Order: sequence, then C-alpha cells, then structure tokens
Amino acid sequence: MKALMSLGALVGVVGLLLLAGMIFDVIPSNTIRLVEGYMPMQMLFEVGCYVLGFTGLSYMLNAMGMGIPRFWQGIGFWIFFLLYIKYRVYPPIPFSVRAMYGTVGLVAVLMWVSANEEDWKKFKQPILNVLDAQTGFNKVLRYVYLIALPILTWGFSYNVMMPKSEEPIELRTVHPAPPASTKVHGKTYVLQTSLNPYRVNTEGKYDQEYSNSLIVEQGMGRLMKPNANPWDEKAEGYLKYVREGGEIFFQNCHFCHGDNLNGRGLHAFAFNPIPANFTDPGTIAQLQETFIFWRVAKGGMGLPNEGFPWASVMPPWEQHLTADEMWKVILFEYWHTGYYPRTWD
Amino acid sequence: MQNSGTQKAGLTLSIAFGAVLITVGMEIPAFAQGGIPEGFKKGELAAPPSAEMIEAGKRVYFTKCVWCHGVDGAGDGPGADRLWPRPRNFNQGTFKIRHTASGELPLFDAKKPVRGQNDLFDTVTHGLPGSAMPPWEGILTEEQRLQVLAFVTTQLVKDRSFTDKQSETQTILNMAELKPKSATEESIKRGSELIVEKKCIECHGLEGRGDGNAFNLKDDWGFSIQPANWHKCWNFRGSRQDPYNVVNIFRTFSTGINGTPMPSFADNTTIDERWDIANFVNSLCERDEEGKPLSIDPLTDKPKINFVIPSNMVEGDIPADIENEAWKNAPRRYVAMGGQITHKPRNFVNRIDDIWVRSLYNDKSIAYLLEWDDRTKSVAEGKLPWAPTEVNIDIQEQEPSTGEGGSIAAKQNNYPVYNDAIAIETPVKWKELPAPIKPRYLFGTNEQFPVDIVKWEADGSIRAFKGTGWDKDFEERDNYEEHLKVLKSEWKNGRWYVMIERPLGNKKDQDYDEDTFFEVGQYIPTVFFAWDGHNGDAGRKMAVSAFYYTFMNPPIPQETYIYPVVIAVGVVFLEGWVLTRRANKKKGKTL
Repeated sequence: MKALMSLGALVGVVGLLLLAGMIFDVIPSNTIRLVEGYMPMQMLFEVGCYVLGFTGLSYMLNAMGMGIPRFWQGIGFWIFFLLYIKYRVYPPIPFSVRAMYGTVGLVAVLMWVSANEEDWKKFKQPILNVLDAQTGFNKVLRYVYLIALPILTWGFSYNVMMPKSEEPIELRTVHPAPPASTKVHGKTYVLQTSLNPYRVNTEGKYDQEYSNSLIVEQGMGRLMKPNANPWDEKAEGYLKYVREGGEIFFQNCHFCHGDNLNGRGLHAFAFNPIPANFTDPGTIAQLQETFIFWRVAKGGMGLPNEGFPWASVMPPWEQHLTADEMWKVILFEYWHTGYYPRTWD
Repeated sequence: MQNSGTQKAGLTLSIAFGAVLITVGMEIPAFAQGGIPEGFKKGELAAPPSAEMIEAGKRVYFTKCVWCHGVDGAGDGPGADRLWPRPRNFNQGTFKIRHTASGELPLFDAKKPVRGQNDLFDTVTHGLPGSAMPPWEGILTEEQRLQVLAFVTTQLVKDRSFTDKQSETQTILNMAELKPKSATEESIKRGSELIVEKKCIECHGLEGRGDGNAFNLKDDWGFSIQPANWHKCWNFRGSRQDPYNVVNIFRTFSTGINGTPMPSFADNTTIDERWDIANFVNSLCERDEEGKPLSIDPLTDKPKINFVIPSNMVEGDIPADIENEAWKNAPRRYVAMGGQITHKPRNFVNRIDDIWVRSLYNDKSIAYLLEWDDRTKSVAEGKLPWAPTEVNIDIQEQEPSTGEGGSIAAKQNNYPVYNDAIAIETPVKWKELPAPIKPRYLFGTNEQFPVDIVKWEADGSIRAFKGTGWDKDFEERDNYEEHLKVLKSEWKNGRWYVMIERPLGNKKDQDYDEDTFFEVGQYIPTVFFAWDGHNGDAGRKMAVSAFYYTFMNPPIPQETYIYPVVIAVGVVFLEGWVLTRRANKKKGKTL
C-alpha cells in the first residue's frame, strides 16, 4: 500500500513540476503532444493521473504528519484544474469555454468536500473561523479580506468595462448537410447511389473490400502496407489510381491541406480557420465518399444556406479538375489517412 | 559499437564493409589537425545503417516523401514543378543545413537521433520553414525518421557515399565547446561593421532584407535562388523551430549552405567575429514593441496572429510621417499572406508572405500604414496580360508536370515585370450581412452585398473597385478615386512603406451602398491583397490574407469609471451585512 502510495505521490510531484514548467514557459506546452483527434480522452486520462497522484501525495503527507486540511485541498485542486486547462492545452481554449469547465470543476470540488456531514464541516470551518475572528491572526485576515474584496471587485469590473479589441468569436458549421444530388461537368451525381469509379480491384470491378484492405496502416506514421505500394510499376486498379490521385493532390491540394493531409500546408498559416485536417477522425472518416465529391466539386461557394454559418475558402474544384481527377484525389485521401469512407448502410 | 555496426552493414554492402574495416583500423589520421578551420574538429562518418532499416525506410519514403522528392530522389516528384524552392534532389548528396565544413556531407547517424549532432535527422524532424518541407515530428516516429533517412542516404544519394570513409571526410563544427557570445551592444555594433567588411550586404542587402543581388543568384541545378531575409528568422531554413536562437545563424555562417552561393566563412573569420555577426543578424529579426522576440505559433512555426487591427484616434490631420508619435504608438499587426490558389490565374508561389499593418483614424478618414518586404521595386514595363479586374481568365497556367525546365522554379526571375501593389478590401454592408453569408467570401458575396476594394500600385495610382462575387470580375469605381489619398509610398532597401487614407464613409444617413462605413468600436472585416511585380503577379495572381478586423478604438466611456466604484461600494455594504448577521447569530439574537 505504502509503496503504491509513494509511487502515486511521485507521479503527483512530477506532474505538478511539469505543469509549473508549462506555466512559467520553461517547458513548451506541446512537449507532451496532445494527440490529434484523441484530445478529450487524453485530457481526461491526464487529469485522472493527476488525481491518483494527488491521492498518493495526500496520503504520504498525512503519514508524515504534514497533512493539508480539506479546505485547502479543495481550493488547491480547483486552482490546479484551472491552471491545467489554461496552460496545458495548445491551441489555447477561449476564456468563455474555460469558465464553463471551471464552473463544472468547482461543482465537482464542492460535491467532493460535501460528500458527508463530517467533511463539509471540516471544509466550512476555516471560513467560519475567519468570520468569527477569535484569534489575532484571524482578525488580521478578516480585515485583509474586508479591504481586499471591494478593491478586487472594483479592479475586475473596471477591467471588464474597459473597451477592448479582442477577436470576436465566430461560430461555424463543420459538416453542412449535403444536397440529394449534384451536377458536375454536365453530369448529375445522386449522392446516395454514386460510387467512386476508381475504387476497383485489379479486374476493374467496384470492390470496396479490396480497396479497404490496401489502405495505409493506422497507427503512428500511417505507412502503406508492405505489399501495397502505389508506386510499384505493376500496381493496377485501386493502387494505380491512388498514385494518380496523389499526383493531383500534390499539384493542387497540399498547398493548404498539407503534405500529410493534416491541414498544415505551405499557405495554411495565412488562413483562419486553418484548412481541414483529414487525419482527424472527425473529418473524412465520418463522411461518405460522395459527400466529399460534392464538397470538392463545389467548394466553399457551393455550401447551402441551411446549416450556416460556415467558413471556407475552398475553391469549387470543378473549375480546375475533371470529375475523374476529383474522384482519384478522394481515393488518395482515404488511402493516405487510412480511413474507410462511410457507407450508406 | 563500431564493431556491431560494421557487422550489420557487412550483410548488405560488402564494399562498404571493407572500407569501414580499414578505417576502423586507422584511428584518427595524424594530419587531422592541419588545415581545419577554427571551431571545427575532425570527425568520422557514422556506421552504415542496417539492411532492415533501409527496407523499412523505403516504405516510409514511398508513403510520405515520393510525392515531392520523386521515385529516384531527384526532387522531381509530382508536386515539384509547382514549388519554389524546388524539393531537394538527393542524387548529388548536396544538403543545405549542416554542422560539417563546406562541401562535405551532413552529419547522419541512423543510431543517434540527437539534436545538433544529426543534421539530416534534425531537418526531417523540424522541417525547412519557408519551403514546403514540413516538420515530421509527431507524424513519423523517431525510428521511422531514421529509417527513411537510412533509405535516402544509401539508395537515393547516388554521386557520393555516406558509407565510403575513403572518399568522404567529416570536419564537424564543434558546437558543444562554442559558447555564444552575449549580444551586447558592442558585439552587435561590431557585427554590423563586419557584414559590410565581409561583403554580406552584397547579397543580403543594406538592411538585410535579401534584396542585394536578388536576380543573379542560382543554385547548383541552375534554379534561381534568393538570399535570406534576416528580418524573418522564422523562415530561415536552418531555424530548427527555434528561430531566435543565435546558434543557428552561427552554424549557417560557419558552414555555408551547400549547393547555393552562400559560402562558409569559417576560413576568413575568427570565432569571435562569427558570434558578432550572428548576434547582429539575430538582432534584426522582427520583434515586438518591447524588443522581445515575437511569439511563434507552434502549429505553424510562424509568428502568432492577432486578427484585430486596432486603429487609434488622432486629432486633426493624420500624419504622413512614419516617425510621428501617433504612428509610433499605433500597435503593429502581423498579417500572414498565402497564395491565391482558388481562381485562375493561380499563384502557387507567393513571394510576399506577410505584411505589417498599423492604422489611425480621425473624424473624417482612416489611414493604413502597410509595410512589407519585397526584394525588388517593380513598376510595370509593358501591358498587363489581362485586365487587373478579370478573374477566371482562360490562360495557360503552370503545367503541373513539365519537367524541370518548365517548372515554376525555372521561370522565377524571367517573368515580365508588372506593378507591385497592395489592396485593402472591406465588405460594404458588413453590419447587414445575413448569417449564411457571414463569413464573407473573398471578392464579395453578390450584387446585394459587395466588397469595397482600395488598391495602390507602384506606378503611383490609387484606384477603387467593387467586387460582387467570388468568380466575378471587379468593377472599377471611377467616381470614388478622388476621395482616396496616398500619404506616402516609398521603396527602400527591400521594403515598401505605403500609407493609404480613405474616408470613413457616409456617417450622416448611414447610406452606404457602395463604400464601407467605418464605425467606431465595431469589428470591420478587412482583407489584404499584395502583388509582387517581379513574380508575374497581376490581377488575381496575388497573395491574400484571411479576414482580419479593423477596430477603431473608441474613447473610453464615462461609465467605465463610475460603475466599478458603485459595485465596490455595494460589496462593502454586503460585507457589513454578513458580519452583522454572523455576530447576531452568535449572540443568539435573530433578526
């Protein structure tokens, strides 16, 4: 037990040091990367680790006779949580969202300290002590509070009222509702029934199972399967078209969507929001291939009036590419990210 | 270590096997100390990577790298012809960023992923900013990065050999023992004298904006190349995601950049002089008002962007002098620029990648001060190939795959020269834009919700346009131009300084069908366009920014001073109430 707890304490101390490093900018907050697409899970896991660490820490301190009163534990944990969401996460979360998390955190802490009558009393006691001010120290403290509180409220409200020029928040829709059909280069494509004409096996037949078996492996790096090299001269069917799609991608799309399809292309830094990240499980992995075809062909301009607001400077690619080229690019995007397109069934 | 390495290599490369065994027996040759430039030490090529590593690296290469660097590593992948700088041709073994002496192969050890001791690994890890090479850290594991380099160095570098210790030498810049000299005023001053003495300014220009000899420099493959702009350290290829670190500059200056006209200065400068120069160059990189390095956004490796451009109020006329206090106190904003690649003619390579914006306003007009680096002053020599207003014109664009000769890199500096230009775009009815069209398209939404464009060109003209749609031609507004003023336009040492003044708009009846009404205290969406005449930029071939906001700082309202006091007094009363209650409760009294 004791060994386990000291391990926990160690985790807690290391974690706190890391966070302190991030707060004082000694350690950049992206040292331990938040894995894209798994950010909420990772954050929950990390906070969980911290809680375990603090449990260990508190146990060890108690064992050494230096226990921290429940009152300060509660406040300390809440402050820790606020600092964590402010300094740990990059890109930073806006204040309004942090305030929401902070409130939830406060409620959680209050629930914890009021779990039973005994604990609640212990938690309240220091507050009442200061109010009653029976010792000299508490008297001083009470006067400090009496003077500091109005001054702080004054400063805070003055700050809030001072005209500021902070970037206004603009909400946007990420996945607008698609139309039933779309007309590209004179041909009508029904989104429910259209198929990617290049998702074919070596015999030229539409074969989703075959193509899905040849996409890159999920996992770090997302590398191609050892025997599925699109650059193999003998590559036929699906893999050959993946290569052709890749060629078009790297002549037209990578400038924004990036060499690794993560939305960090050469020009991406100039845009707001930055271009879509296809490696995120929340983008193309959630969508049907025909949806992507519609988005590629019609671009930001073709987005419907429903489901606003959106923000996209994606050009209508039908102005630059043929329908065949667009289908091939889509084929490549799924291959390179290792995702299957969603199907209608 | 040496032994196991050689054994593994022996399995695959019997020639290298022999060579390695010979050199292992030789130790460091006695002549090593002679002719080594100051700060360098003799080193050795690392042991060759294993066959398994090379094979694994091939898999990485053909998933990630082949698209730009090509099947044979000749820098001719499908993406290459629309990039400038072009992707590296690995075949010659010429690599830019190294810790080794000029002309030597870079440091690479497939077993040692240590920062600063493995040049190629650092390049793959941190990318080459200012080019299309991204940082691969976080995408490929450390092992995968080493594997792909094992493949590149053994299979794609064809004219030289990372494994042949007889034909290759390694003279390594001994950074571990070179401590940076502190950047005192004296050191920086000496650096500023040395860059003249050592002729740095001949290429990098008087102010270091890379404008010295911008049009005659070529790399080893005959493609035109531009000297670095010292004011944008985040674009230094060797900045290793740590752009304000003087060590990077010291390294590049000591080793030179292979394959380019940038030589190594190791032989004709002392270490002390090199630190002075590095300190001076580093001091030129853009900094904030307090002289601190700009904070760099780890997502983009460029300066962090603040999308709000605050405009301060001035009494009377807006000063035309940049040195005026009002301009000096106006906050400066970094505006990132990307190529316009949505409509023909597309601009895959934009030479202007940022502008700095300041703004002031008075009761009648608003002025923008725009400063941007452009290595050449370009004033049109001939007629434009298309009207500046036209979009989606039927032109032959850069072919995607033409071979090196027809690539963008080969065409750089051979374009007909057009006007340098800058434009500010604001939506006309920004307040009334209904939600579906709220994120305003570049170039206007439709006839009902047009944009107002003010464009200055290097021939001195200032014109106004109306944009009514993404793929509609602009309409020239002849009746508005007389209201516009160019307070200043000057090109000096690789930088444009342009000050444009325009009316605030119709204030009285707020009837603003054609030009934007700039309202105090409101966020007015603003976009910037820039053209580099030497890049063949004209019409829609230009650089564009995202939507920024012009925000005219309002005078501070009286309430700001009154309400907080009221609230504070309220808190005092509240405190009194709580304390009385508590005291009464204790005494057993109830209220």
